[in-house]
Amino acid sequence: MTGFESTVRAQVRSQTKSGIAAMIIGIALLVALVAMPWWASQGTIRSVVELCCYIAIAQMWNLLAGYGGLVSVGQQAFSGVAAYAMFALAQNLGINPFFAVPLCLIAPVLLAVPTYGLLHRLDGPYFAIGTWVVAEVMRLLTSNFSYVNAGAGMSLRVMTQYSAHERAIGVSILCALMLLITVGGTYWLLRSRYGLALTAMRDNPVSAASQGVNVSRLRFLLFIAGAAGTGLAGAIYFMAQLRITPEAAYGPQWATVAIFIVMIGGLGSIEGVLVGSIIYFFADRWFGEYGATYLIVLGILTLIVALFARQGIWGLMSKVVDAPWFPTRRVLVSGESR
Amino acid sequence: MEGSSEGVAAASPTLLQADGLGKSFGANRVLHDVSFTVRRGEVLGILGPNGAGKTTLFNLISGDLRPNSGTIRFDGHMLGGEPPFRRARLGIGRTYQIPLPYGGMTTFENLLVSASFAGNKSESAVYDYCATVLEECELGGKANKMADTLTLLDRKRLELARALAARPKLLLLDEIAGGLTDDEGRDLVELVRKIRDRGITIVWIEHVLHALMAVAERVMVLDFGEKIAEGPPREVIEDPEVKRVYMGIEV
Repeated sequence: MTGFESTVRAQVRSQTKSGIAAMIIGIALLVALVAMPWWASQGTIRSVVELCCYIAIAQMWNLLAGYGGLVSVGQQAFSGVAAYAMFALAQNLGINPFFAVPLCLIAPVLLAVPTYGLLHRLDGPYFAIGTWVVAEVMRLLTSNFSYVNAGAGMSLRVMTQYSAHERAIGVSILCALMLLITVGGTYWLLRSRYGLALTAMRDNPVSAASQGVNVSRLRFLLFIAGAAGTGLAGAIYFMAQLRITPEAAYGPQWATVAIFIVMIGGLGSIEGVLVGSIIYFFADRWFGEYGATYLIVLGILTLIVALFARQGIWGLMSKVVDAPWFPTRRVLVSGESR
Repeated sequence: MEGSSEGVAAASPTLLQADGLGKSFGANRVLHDVSFTVRRGEVLGILGPNGAGKTTLFNLISGDLRPNSGTIRFDGHMLGGEPPFRRARLGIGRTYQIPLPYGGMTTFENLLVSASFAGNKSESAVYDYCATVLEECELGGKANKMADTLTLLDRKRLELARALAARPKLLLLDEIAGGLTDDEGRDLVELVRKIRDRGITIVWIEHVLHALMAVAERVMVLDFGEKIAEGPPREVIEDPEVKRVYMGIEV
């Protein structure tokens, strides 16, 4: 063995008070989410489901763009194909719709493998355009595919076997699981050994490769995981809607919203996604009625953040108080003394 | 082709052997028919004017670039198309001329990445070693500082410490003394000596001549992609051809 003798007993801390507090609040929120059918109105449930889907999609986009450097504007290809697969499984093949939700994730994964194979050699903007093309191709194919009722879209009539209350229970549980997988899963990943590799890759892919990190395989796995997570959000969103059309499923607004949320909140952090999602959600509720003007204001806001506050609102917040909700930093507690 | 090396290293077995290495970018020939050997435990210095192909040579060894011709044998393996991450795991560590730290991670975390991934170990298994390397590289007090807030000297130390954390068999150092004051340079030379004494074989590209002369057992000089001299440092810098191309002294 070459190198130095280990003369230091290192003690490393990776959890903080703010992290523990955030975890308790997070678990409480998840419980409240599951209990929603007993305390919230149908309208509230619909809004919260939408918010959860935005969080999940933005979190996956953040994982791709923030850590993998893979800027996609075509994630709707995966949410759309998953939602359509779920409708086909439930409506055409008679599989229980709640069971069809996890099952349908095979579709985005199967689509993501060849998509990545085709696109991974492309650089930044070309990659982005490539993903958009894939989403458009999926929209056109679906519009002409009579098995899923082509351009007219499908209704999830099998859901009528459940009462509105039962449907709400099912969708609430699915939402909680989705957040647990996308947000909790990202947190777990970043705290694991692979989190080190992902963060290193985010900061400098060239030196990460020279330090033993298999950057291309990690990017591939991120893309697949991103497709599955985005697909889960798509399936749940359209299950709550009970209706799907190619225009809605493969619409570019999915990508736009994800980009807005991550840019405003802060690229490359879990907290940023949550902050951005909440801002988008309330902006949409309060100002959505202004139509085009509202969209222009959102666009200008994104531009200002991109120009003057690269780290987003979470970046500004953590400059004021360093209290991460999802701490991933490995702090060397002892072994610092000379 | 063997250099007339002297001292302890001459008897030890070969760690790295390059034969007839060539690299061109289009019509631009950067390296041509370069052969050399590095023995276990020695420090080989590489000199040469800007554009001589020194860093390209490192890129061929680390896998960042593929050679157009020639072969590299490392630690008994013939290197083929292994990408950089695989060569890092085989035991080839490198630093970059312009430090490339992970700016958003702390100094300690920078080391964890290479120790765990290039070193193929679990994260908690490398904590002690990374903390030790930080101490040895005089970065102990800066373990929890973000890498992008470090000074140039500390960035250079971090670049070295990060490569060391992986316990490499071969360490490629690319101009780690450039831009430092004399005192800082002396500290760095001490550190390189210490690393060599721990059994790590080093190939060091350096413009700061006295730093290189103080540590290297053997020096190789490149000019326009070709090897023009090789041997003990004193002899090499007395070579008229080296004086002409490297020091700009006409004979």
